[in-house]
Amino acid sequence: MSQQGSRTTADPSVDGDGVNRASERDSTERAAIDVDGLELTYSDGTTAVQGVDLTVPRGEFFGFLGPNGAGKTTTIKVFATLLSPTSGDVQVNGFDARSETRKIRETIGYMAQETSIDPELTAEENIRFACEAYGVPSGERAERVSELLSLVDLADVADKQAEEFSGGMKKRLDAATALAHRPPLVFLDEPTTGLDPKARNRLWEYFLRINDLGTTIFLTTQYLEEADQLCDRLAVILDGNIVADGSPDDLKREVGGEVLAIELERGDGVRERATTIAREFDAFADATVSETEDGISVTSEVARQYGTDLLVALRDAGLTVTGFNIRAPTLDDVFLAITGDEIDTAEMPDGDRGASQ
Amino acid sequence: MSTPDADGSAEEYAGATGGEEVTRSGNSFAGDVWVNFKRWNVKAVRNPFVLVVSLAQPIIFLVLFTQVFGNVAGGAVEGATGGDISYETYLVPAIAIQVALAAAVTSGIGLVNDIENGMFEKVLVTPMNRTAVFLGKTAAEVFRIAIQIGIILGLGVLLGAEIATGLPGVIGIMGIGVLFSLWFVAFSNSLAILTRDQESTIIGANLLQFPLLFLSSAFLPLATLPGWIQTFARLNPVTYGVDATRSLMLDENVMTVIEVSWFDGTLNGVVPGVAVLAGIGLSFGAIAVYLLSRASSSDVK
Ligand SMILES: Nc1ncnc2c1ncn2[C@@H]1O[C@H](COP(=O)(O)OP(=O)(O)OP(=O)(O)O)[C@@H](O)[C@H]1O
Ligand SMILES: [Mg+2]
Repeated sequence: MSQQGSRTTADPSVDGDGVNRASERDSTERAAIDVDGLELTYSDGTTAVQGVDLTVPRGEFFGFLGPNGAGKTTTIKVFATLLSPTSGDVQVNGFDARSETRKIRETIGYMAQETSIDPELTAEENIRFACEAYGVPSGERAERVSELLSLVDLADVADKQAEEFSGGMKKRLDAATALAHRPPLVFLDEPTTGLDPKARNRLWEYFLRINDLGTTIFLTTQYLEEADQLCDRLAVILDGNIVADGSPDDLKREVGGEVLAIELERGDGVRERATTIAREFDAFADATVSETEDGISVTSEVARQYGTDLLVALRDAGLTVTGFNIRAPTLDDVFLAITGDEIDTAEMPDGDRGASQ
Repeated sequence: MSTPDADGSAEEYAGATGGEEVTRSGNSFAGDVWVNFKRWNVKAVRNPFVLVVSLAQPIIFLVLFTQVFGNVAGGAVEGATGGDISYETYLVPAIAIQVALAAAVTSGIGLVNDIENGMFEKVLVTPMNRTAVFLGKTAAEVFRIAIQIGIILGLGVLLGAEIATGLPGVIGIMGIGVLFSLWFVAFSNSLAILTRDQESTIIGANLLQFPLLFLSSAFLPLATLPGWIQTFARLNPVTYGVDATRSLMLDENVMTVIEVSWFDGTLNGVVPGVAVLAGIGLSFGAIAVYLLSRASSSDVK
């Protein structure tokens, strides 16, 4: 599962020019998704995606992260042939997204962010329709339908019309229909949003299982833990540009060092003062300092070494430290470090810097 | 390469063609039509309300018109057709066409619902042929229209209408009703794709319904109507549908807008109407298929 994925297709260990080019062509042909300079502008002039370059090898579990409105869904819709690229070259399963749309459709599954099921059909009929629409041989349909119904735990209500389902049940049904034809490449746009933990775990297991069997998975999610657990490789998109990519561990390493989380007794301006003190602290000149729910967090290479000194400095300034811990960075820290400025301007107009490096 | 996992597992799903091609799944054209035909039939059965509502208005028209205008209109009808024909007999073919029109309005509404609940996009990402998708849906609706026309004809006979050509006539009237519905089905679906909005589609299609019916030969002989209506009626597909079905109903040529003498009697009234309707249906159908084939998630530059 662990893949130190790199976007460049050339293998650095190969020296000879000819060999190098051959392996490049080979990996492009074998890539599930190969994008060069993708740009998409909606007819109202909104440029949702600009200059995206991306290669997803076959068999990879790929995570696509980014804040709301960053362009994730737009990008997926281009791959799924629902939107035609404004410019750039997009190959999906080796087929061109402009001229070979039907071939792409024959080789992918797509689960939209908005739940998409026919409310007038029963759960079973919805899945059966998906099987039939993708030409699953009639001999295999019954088995496939019942397998998927039990996967998403809807076997008991298989004959109920979907309009009677709860939001999460509808979402589960939608997931089942996207996987009905066992496509070699699946696009899942926030597939687990709104699901209870049990349903989410079942889907995770299933995603991992089909990934082990060779299915390439392209997943977007706002649950960074999910991305961390499932994905071989991640890319973060921000304002239509890919701003980071690599394995979850790579990205966490890029954040650098460790995270010192400090809890402070509540009070007016306490966190602001603590932030100022931490920023002015010499050892943490290069650190990322941000406010958290109940205190501040400092991310630095030397968090462990100088953490206690900072705690002392805070106490000297008259602030009461109620707790602290030092931990390795999570994807949340990665995400905040990458998109921090964004969040500041959007959610904290008072001019608090938060994470800035 | 740095992705041994991906390379190793790629073999497993890569299908029979030796690792270079990925497995592709899809249907034949007829299979695609059938899948969609089935889905829309199931939806129609699940939704008897739509079935009833699209019959209610034509039935109300049938009963009210015959009861209220029967006596007055009867004279005009006799004057125009030259026989002693009851207003019931005269009106029933028009109501059959009205049924086709009303059912065609609901066709576009079905598509808008699909757009709103995401099924439209879901269908767009499948490899199904777009024309087949439209044909399957239309076939299901046309099937329903044929049944509804059958119900209207039965009701008409109960009220005293006579179908001079008997059972073949009944089948013929159903056939013409279906053929007539095609252009309006295509129109209301085109409206649905263009507006993607339920209200606009209902209003757009419904607003047209009454002018189309009244500015035609449906309720009274053209000769008794003002000149401007006669002019409009010549361009109105409803006139061709009504005159053709009415010719079958009465077993005589009552086509008022095209004169031909290729055959003897009744067929001179039926065939030109059918030809015109087929032409209009094909043109509107082509537009709808074109719109559907270039339909995407949103408009882009
Ligand atoms: N149909 C559309 N017409 C015009 N602009 C659009 C359309 N759909 C999306 N956009 C714009 O494109 C940008 C990217 O939207 P997109 O839906 O791809 O974001 P996202 O990353 O999927 O966000 P989220 O996490 O909220 O799902 C946004 O600025 C959005 O307003
Ligand atoms: Mg989205």
